[in-house]
Amino acid sequence: MVIAVTLLVLAACSGGDYPNSTFLPTTDNNRDATDLWNRMMFWGTIVFVIVEAILLYTIIKYRRRPGGPEPEHVHGNTLMEITWTLAPALILVFIAVPTVRTIFRSQAAAPANAVQIEVIGHQWWWEFRYPEYGFTTANEIYMPHGRPVNFALRTADVLHSFWIPALAGKRDLISNRTNYLWFTPDSTGEAAFNGSCNEYCGASHANMKFRAFTVSAEDFDTWARHQAANAIFPPPVDTAAAPATVRPASNAIGMAQAVPAAQAAPTTVQAPTTPWQFPREKVPPHVLPQTPIPASVSIADAAIAAGDAQRGFTTYSRSACIGCHKIRGNPSSMGILGPDLTHVGSRFTIASGLFPNDAKHLAHWIKNARAMKPGSLMQTLGKGEHDPIMNITVQAGGLTDEQIADITAYLLSLK
Amino acid sequence: MATVAASPTYTASATPQRSRLMSWLTTTDHKVIGTLYLHTSLFFFVLGGLEALLIRWQLMRPNSVVLTADQYNQLFTMHGTTMVFLAIMPLSAAFFNYLIPLQIGARDVAFPRLNAFSYWIFLLGGVFITLPIFFWVAPDGGWFGYAPLSGRTYSPGPNMDFWVLGLQILGISSLAASFNFATTIINMRAPGMNLMRMPMFTWMSFVTQFLIILSFPVITIALVFLQFDRFFGTTFYQISAGADPLLWQHLFWIFGHPEVYILILPAFGLVSEVLPTNSRKPLFGYPVMAYSGILIGFLGFGVWAHHMFAVGMGPIADTVFGLTTMLIAIPTGVKIFNWIFTMWGGSIRFTAAMKFAIALIAMFVIGGISGITHASPPSDLQQTDTYYIVAHFHYVLFGGAILGIFAGIYHYFPKMYGRTMNETLGTWHFWLNFIAMNLTFFPMHFAGMLGMPRRIYTYDAGQGWELFNMMSTMGAFLLAPATLIFIYNFFRSKKHGEPCGPNPWDAPTLEWSIPSPPPEYNFAKIPMVTSRYPLWDLTHPERTAEIPHTQTGWTEATQQTGEHDMAPMHIETETRTAKELGIPMPSSTIKPFFVALGIVLMFSGLLFLPKGMKVPAFALMFGGTAMWVGYLYAWLTTPLEDHH
Repeated sequence: MVIAVTLLVLAACSGGDYPNSTFLPTTDNNRDATDLWNRMMFWGTIVFVIVEAILLYTIIKYRRRPGGPEPEHVHGNTLMEITWTLAPALILVFIAVPTVRTIFRSQAAAPANAVQIEVIGHQWWWEFRYPEYGFTTANEIYMPHGRPVNFALRTADVLHSFWIPALAGKRDLISNRTNYLWFTPDSTGEAAFNGSCNEYCGASHANMKFRAFTVSAEDFDTWARHQAANAIFPPPVDTAAAPATVRPASNAIGMAQAVPAAQAAPTTVQAPTTPWQFPREKVPPHVLPQTPIPASVSIADAAIAAGDAQRGFTTYSRSACIGCHKIRGNPSSMGILGPDLTHVGSRFTIASGLFPNDAKHLAHWIKNARAMKPGSLMQTLGKGEHDPIMNITVQAGGLTDEQIADITAYLLSLK
Repeated sequence: MATVAASPTYTASATPQRSRLMSWLTTTDHKVIGTLYLHTSLFFFVLGGLEALLIRWQLMRPNSVVLTADQYNQLFTMHGTTMVFLAIMPLSAAFFNYLIPLQIGARDVAFPRLNAFSYWIFLLGGVFITLPIFFWVAPDGGWFGYAPLSGRTYSPGPNMDFWVLGLQILGISSLAASFNFATTIINMRAPGMNLMRMPMFTWMSFVTQFLIILSFPVITIALVFLQFDRFFGTTFYQISAGADPLLWQHLFWIFGHPEVYILILPAFGLVSEVLPTNSRKPLFGYPVMAYSGILIGFLGFGVWAHHMFAVGMGPIADTVFGLTTMLIAIPTGVKIFNWIFTMWGGSIRFTAAMKFAIALIAMFVIGGISGITHASPPSDLQQTDTYYIVAHFHYVLFGGAILGIFAGIYHYFPKMYGRTMNETLGTWHFWLNFIAMNLTFFPMHFAGMLGMPRRIYTYDAGQGWELFNMMSTMGAFLLAPATLIFIYNFFRSKKHGEPCGPNPWDAPTLEWSIPSPPPEYNFAKIPMVTSRYPLWDLTHPERTAEIPHTQTGWTEATQQTGEHDMAPMHIETETRTAKELGIPMPSSTIKPFFVALGIVLMFSGLLFLPKGMKVPAFALMFGGTAMWVGYLYAWLTTPLEDHH
């Protein structure tokens, strides 16, 4: 018990060894929950100690001894029984009152200045939309610290649950409903957190993770304005980056490949934006996934290194990728089923927080996503690879290692 | 006694040449059915334990590849389903069967053939839902099968078909059994045994039967909806048709929360038998113990949505369900204190059963305190669906129900087999089990509060969970030998245990006044009861001197049954058979087995429908229906007892 309590104290205090601890005083929401927890642990410890002490005393004191006296035959004691009915009731009042107060405070409408983020759960990844900035991203959230954040939670399929343990309690994503969760990350500074799905949602429930970053208001604005801008390919070489070409609008998604000239694009010329991501040197180790690549998927490092972004752009724009993924700025890529890849190169992870976002992991992922992540809806694309869901070997239309390396280079260039 | 020697050997099955298998298949004796339940559910307990071992093996290290995601998801679903529906519930049913008639002074349950039917449909339903795990096509939607994941759209395979149909089948068993036991307790108590004289185990069983009767219809309806969605294209939970997934959650937990008390109250009852007997003292505050059991059962129907604080029900619902949940702590606390004060001032004998009973008190307190922490919704939002919850409900179900059931098995084994279980092995089992369960489940509190979700087949390194998972896995590996010791002791003691008399523990209630094992008719003369502790009235009158003794109910009983069949409270020494005594016993019959088999075949037919195999589907459905309707007709038109 002593060890257990010591561990608990350790767990509560140390954010370093326990990066996902629910006791970190990072947000208003979490401080309220921790406050309630402390109250309950206070009373709980008292009850625990009293009950177990009486129990131990009883079984030691009244153990049978040879020649011991016949016990007194008490059948009950009304006064005592009333006492131990009322005492817990009284303790519960001390817990219930702050509980009810916190319920109503935390479930009130979000403050008006809150950043709005729409969360849409998918089997098994997260779609995040910033309606005020008009863009969509996936699996990584940025929040300005010190300002309330209001999440509107929906799901595209089964139930999920949105949870960043170090920031706030969770809220479920319920089909045909919108749930809300808000909190103010006011004591985090520049920090990175892990989030996860917490409602069992099928094969890769364990792999439905995401990352959350709290950054300064200015950095947030820089990040958000860049995320809202279209991807620019090829990336500008010098500082005088050319804005995306203005093209006539079209809503015929199916024609994308056939008529490259008639593509959807923003109607206004964008001001150049600066790519910004959370400073890589400040990313704590627990945020970078260590998931090993399954032995069944392999692609040579040399082949990956030889990838060419320009060729990759062409290959990508004619591949199956565009059926599911959107890259704003690449007129062929208009799919809406999978994560938005517009600035995929600026993310730290791929596959919903399962792998780090580098050429090696991305190439393996493109080659055989279904071997990398059980149940993945993204098809196995590598030529000659075994698709574990369809139980077929990909032949016609499959991508060669060279093509995969090219696509990898292209995607990673989308900062 | 000359007549005994001259008469042919008389066995329960009336035809001595029948094989043991046939005697089991045709038995209507509540004691035989009770031991069948006991053995079957111990088998499922071991199976569910093996599933847990595989789960813990996979989680021992981060990014482990012992199991695939699919295998893991099937294993955790089946671990929960097995332990709830195939282990703890039927273990309780084993005691209901064996003990309720003995404790109330009856010769059998109210409906002996329905009782056999309950067992057979439990066994067949258990096989139905368990077999697929051996082919890795087992249910994989979690034990509470949340819609829409459990629907055809997101679970197209046969996996969840087995689950929805299997639970329907098992529900029939529970409902049939609970009507049977409720009727038995209401109608078949010995003269003088009014409700406030019933042994506490029977009391808690009585409450449990009503919980089953009131909650199982709800899950039945929920499952019928799901079944129709999956097989016939209805849209109760079809989100593309606008369904609200909370329908399933509400229906499931209106069943699911009372289910928790269905699992725990019988164990509370068993402990309430073990503690007074081994303390040489009457139960402290008997009436309050009975009332708090009723109150727990009653409140248990008003707290279901505390499983759903994260779904966004709004502040008012969260408040209401948070407060009702906290209220349950009060009657539960009363029970804890009354148990402790039963021992207070007593003369405590530490039998293996007693150790387990005391451990239940100690462990249930932990489960109760963690329960309070998630009765508070804002706090619960950091706990629900994490390993903290897994820790909590294992302290309640393992530290509560399972420890209580072990106490019950050690305590009542001598009554069932006429021999005691080995106490040395029992002590080993106890300590290993006690250490192992705490090593397994206590670290889960930390893993959960440090952010580890439940139901994940893998986790990444560096999240701060490695140590706790390693500890839990070590604990689980230690639980295995503990359980093995118990299983060895159980089977060895049946043959080689120390022979014991009718009342080895010096216990106060009716079941100990008859031989061990009891004769098929239980009581040659139905005892006429004058107090709550009828046997202590004879053996230790000083212990019961303070409680009222009356002969209420004797007159009506004698008028109904005739005086020849009953006698004032006595220690039974009769050794003659039912036939020689002229006691009518229900005759053996195979019909309940075939009714159960027919129902299971009927449900099995549905499995072929989604594959478009209409011929086997309809053959099984119609064949099964014809079978159970036919045998049920034959059953209902055959008298219960042979003519003597």
